[in-house]
Amino acid sequence: MSVIECKDLTKSYLRKKVLNQISFTIEENKITGVIGRNGVGKTTLLKIMAGFIRETSGEIKVLAQRPFNNLYTSVNTIFVDDQMSFPPALQLQELLEAAQTFYPNWDMEFAQRLFKYFNFDPKHYHNTLSKGRTSTFNAIVGIASRCPITIFDEPTTGMDEAVRKDFYRALLKDYIAHPRTILISSHHLEEMEDLLEDVLLLKNGEVHLHIPISDLKEWAIGLQGPASVVLPWTEGKEVVYQNQIGLDTTYVVIKNDLSEAELAQISLNGVKVIPVRASELCVYLTNETKGGIDDVFINR
Amino acid sequence: MSLSTANLKETVKKQYFFKLKANIDAISSLIGIQLIAVLFSLGGIGGSLSSSEGLRIDINYYSADVVLVFTMIWALVTAITITTKPYRNHDFTFVTNRLSSSLSNILFLLTGSLLGAVTANLSRYLLQVIGYFVFDQQVYAGPFDFPIFILGIIMSALYIFCISSIGYLIGALVQVNKLFAILVPVLIIGSIFLDASIQKELSLMQVFQFYVMESNFVFFLIKILVTTALVFLASINILNRMEVRR
Amino acid sequence: MNGNFESHQKVYSQYQLAEMFTINPATAAKGLNILADESILYKRRGLGMFVAEDAKEHILNKRKSGNLRQLVQELVLESERLQITEQELMDMIKAALHEEGRK
Repeated sequence: MSVIECKDLTKSYLRKKVLNQISFTIEENKITGVIGRNGVGKTTLLKIMAGFIRETSGEIKVLAQRPFNNLYTSVNTIFVDDQMSFPPALQLQELLEAAQTFYPNWDMEFAQRLFKYFNFDPKHYHNTLSKGRTSTFNAIVGIASRCPITIFDEPTTGMDEAVRKDFYRALLKDYIAHPRTILISSHHLEEMEDLLEDVLLLKNGEVHLHIPISDLKEWAIGLQGPASVVLPWTEGKEVVYQNQIGLDTTYVVIKNDLSEAELAQISLNGVKVIPVRASELCVYLTNETKGGIDDVFINR
Repeated sequence: MSLSTANLKETVKKQYFFKLKANIDAISSLIGIQLIAVLFSLGGIGGSLSSSEGLRIDINYYSADVVLVFTMIWALVTAITITTKPYRNHDFTFVTNRLSSSLSNILFLLTGSLLGAVTANLSRYLLQVIGYFVFDQQVYAGPFDFPIFILGIIMSALYIFCISSIGYLIGALVQVNKLFAILVPVLIIGSIFLDASIQKELSLMQVFQFYVMESNFVFFLIKILVTTALVFLASINILNRMEVRR
Repeated sequence: MNGNFESHQKVYSQYQLAEMFTINPATAAKGLNILADESILYKRRGLGMFVAEDAKEHILNKRKSGNLRQLVQELVLESERLQITEQELMDMIKAALHEEGRK
């Protein structure tokens, strides 16, 4: 069953199109990573799903309803980011209690355990928390609310390494016990790639790829060797990235549609065949040019 | 994961109780402002002096009107405040839509108006007590009549609530476009100057009299309630199209 | 391989694996399915996945035909780059085989 459906969804601010006719569906109880560069429309897309902002044109259905200004979507969705705002007059403990009254699936015992684990003081106030602590508290609210659609927009902003790991593990364990649809956006694919089932890669306000993460890991392959040997192999292939290393060595990333035999042949020719990590590939795919930052420095 | 349903009434109720707690500062500022108003009133709003044959009579009138005016200003400011971004965002952290958010705000303002009306009316007695004990004066108060006292509370609550609806509308307009923050004061002050320059009775005054001068209580009730409802309705419609947390 | 699992023994479920390694359960299921496709595991409806009778041989065969061959190819390639003669390479392999402490 699909829980989120977008068709030709467009959002523009003034004249600028942030999302340009995107279409995709998200299946129930999958963890999807929303990946893309800064300002590519990730947050906008997630906020439209949460019903915060309105689509300019096209159609979006969350749980078969239009999310904007919709109470049904609101009670079944939670949107977590570091901008989440809470009344300054309430203590952290009171905020958890408030969340409990609003979210029907809220697990208070679980929330309290997380709260204690991360050493929060129930008497503190939300606006006195540091950046990382704010993110951690918001994440607790996000996980414990157990909303059928849980959206995390850059949830680990400011968290230290240990807390990030704890957060992803807590999310996964609770997801296994209580499956739900989860969307996470992050710049750091590598830290969450094991957690994901699908990846939604946005580029220039459009969906560039929407595939299972396991396919993404095998989607491309890196060839490194003398240019004269490597380049013939890349002919007719989709070249994602190309870079010159030293005088004669070239590193090319191409879409992996080579057969095993071909790959064996390539390595016999003295070309190093290197698997391309998902996070690395995403950087290449979302680059505007094939050479990345190096292109800025050529032909000056 | 099981899906939940939410109905408007329940959501508004939850939000209302949440707001009572969250906006506790607004309530305490109400009390603070009223206390200041009481201090102002202690000067008396008018006095007269008469002396004959070495006997001097000094009369001071005390009135709680200043407290009521201050409470109205509080209602206006509070109503504007709760339309601002941070307050709207608090709602959208949890379960809400724009309608439930506005409805719970209105309930909150109604609660504030009632509370303010009660305390403003009671402050009259506080004034008398202070006059008696602190200034050691002989206090002659109007007779205490319970129905009148209640009527006074209801009427002042309606005034305060009506003012808060105007504040809410101004707040909503400002949220749509920041220009209204300049436009609204300009319009009000402009109309005063315009009327003054052509030696006409102030239009604002006429509007004011439309309500205050109504001697029939039922008509007054209808006038003020319909006005309040219409103004709130307009604000709800404006806020209903607003995007949040952009 | 190391005898962690005996033949016909039940292996971890996708959820157990997911928890153990902090990976998505769907990914864990895919991994188990790959092993099942290669006849290293077999499924029993409703009961889970079990280690196949000849799992060890399957793995051995796969490593021989795949990994080892590739290693040898790389070895040859590297020795070409270093301009080592065939004889030298053979001697090195023999020396490694008969190194003290083995067998």
